Amino acid sequence: MIVSMFGVLFDGLAYGMLLFLLSVGLSVTLGMMNFVNLAHCTFGMIGGYVTVTLMNSMGWPFLATLPAAFLVAAAASVVFERTMFRRLYRSTDLDQCLLTIGLVFVSVASAAWLYGTIQQPVNLPSYLRGSYNVMGVTIGVYRLFLIGMSIVITVALVGALEYTRFGAQVRAAVDNQRMARGLGINVDGAFAVTFALGSGLAGLGGALAIDIVGLDPSFALAYLVYVLIVVSVGGLGSIAGSLVAAIVLGISDMAGKYYFPEIGSFLIYLVMLSLLMWRPVGLFGKR
Amino acid sequence: MVSSLAEPLLALRNIRAGYGEAVVLDNISLELADRGSLAVLGRNGVGKSTLLLTIMGFTTLRRGNILWQGRDITALAPHRRARAGIGWVAQEREIFANLTVEENLTVAARPGRWDKRAIFELFPRIGERRANKGNQLSGGEQQMLAMARALMTNPALLLLDEPLEGLAPIIVEELAGALKRMIRDEGTAVILIEQHAGIALSLTEDAVLLERGAIVHRAKSADLMKDAATLDRYIGMKIKA
Ligand SMILES: Nc1ncnc2c1ncn2[C@@H]1O[C@H](COP(=O)(O)OP(=O)(O)OP(=O)(O)O)[C@@H](O)[C@H]1O
Ligand SMILES: [Mg+2]
Repeated sequence: MIVSMFGVLFDGLAYGMLLFLLSVGLSVTLGMMNFVNLAHCTFGMIGGYVTVTLMNSMGWPFLATLPAAFLVAAAASVVFERTMFRRLYRSTDLDQCLLTIGLVFVSVASAAWLYGTIQQPVNLPSYLRGSYNVMGVTIGVYRLFLIGMSIVITVALVGALEYTRFGAQVRAAVDNQRMARGLGINVDGAFAVTFALGSGLAGLGGALAIDIVGLDPSFALAYLVYVLIVVSVGGLGSIAGSLVAAIVLGISDMAGKYYFPEIGSFLIYLVMLSLLMWRPVGLFGKR
Repeated sequence: MVSSLAEPLLALRNIRAGYGEAVVLDNISLELADRGSLAVLGRNGVGKSTLLLTIMGFTTLRRGNILWQGRDITALAPHRRARAGIGWVAQEREIFANLTVEENLTVAARPGRWDKRAIFELFPRIGERRANKGNQLSGGEQQMLAMARALMTNPALLLLDEPLEGLAPIIVEELAGALKRMIRDEGTAVILIEQHAGIALSLTEDAVLLERGAIVHRAKSADLMKDAATLDRYIGMKIKA
């Protein structure tokens, strides 16, 4: 029982880290730019398909595809932002939802047309496969890798936002756009870069997720729900909030499926409801 | 240099501007020479802040144009105007509350004579508070920081919106001293909005009086200072010379 509990905690942590990578970008852009981007997981899906394509059709090694997944998703988001999203920054939430959910359906259909509706296979390199057995607890190498990656990314992200001049300019622009512009800060540019960064991380998350949750065209829609839960439970715009929320939800999802298989998939919603009843603005949210 | 023949640093030509549908300023024309200084006086709500916002590009411009060093900047985005050398100190100070004092300065920094070291020399209090968050400052410190932050952009022109408003006399003195140094010694051009008409006129060379969005009087600051009747008529106050 104790042993399985550690196993569930470990798997839940790894799953939570994955959810974190997928959602942190949305939390930042929603919190900062007030733009409701329901197509966020589309960028995750793009990342996933980039990795699959590069590995299976072009023979790239798995690790080499990860930066590509990040870059292609980030680049795609810049195209979306320039051509569509920026026109709706001052529109109502409903307009933004309609546009972006429409994009989700388009992306789901495009992926099905290009790749079919089957689950995409991914062949991890041997050094990422297998597991250790630590005092009876099974520690999967890939899950360990996931956790390590996420920690590195979190540290880099917080470092960039808190300790660089660019990060300070982004925070200044979030606090007071007009004053930031009045001091020569290119607010639109700073937001576009941040948006691309968040989408790139979703792309990376999508690539890393294939081995754990699989990849098919429904990804953009299926994971939207999880990502929205993470963002609302964590609190808009809070990186720490997203991290904590993602871990809590990852662990409760795993625990639910393991201990209460009959209601397993519902536990995550119960956790969300109780957390939001306790703190309506999210764990670390300010509004 | 023959200043009267030189190109003005800033020129507004027939400006009509406001917010959305509302027109606040009309038929505003003025010129400011390089190293020049202009006091803008007028009662509450006549459009003084709107004038500065228009120079920065934050209002709806309906007519006229704005020239900066001879170049038409009427359509230029605000952040580009700031980078071209226009520094702005907003009436409400608008310190970035979640940034430290030091970050408030670095986000604005552009190369030039004013860097953190020079700023901390000018305002030692700001240096002492460098690690504090913006929302932990007193009113006087906030105003110093707002001015310091604008200086970090190394502007050729500084727009100051009531920088002495609501401050204790000792702080007013310190800030007025810093302003004087900027105008006289550094040769920074300044447009100064101020309720303390006496201080504003003593610091500047030229002055305009605003009423209901229009310029109703222009004078040399030194002359206006002695013109009690005009001052009393447009700003309803007498000043001690
Ligand atoms: N954002 C805004 N939207 C619409 N009208 C505005 C806005 N800001 C100011 N106004 C209006 O424009 C007019 C001029 O305001 P402005 O702030 O320029 O005056 P001011 O001379 O700076 O006054 P004060 O001495 O009180 O600072 C006022 O009638 C004001 O109500
Ligand atoms: Mg004002």
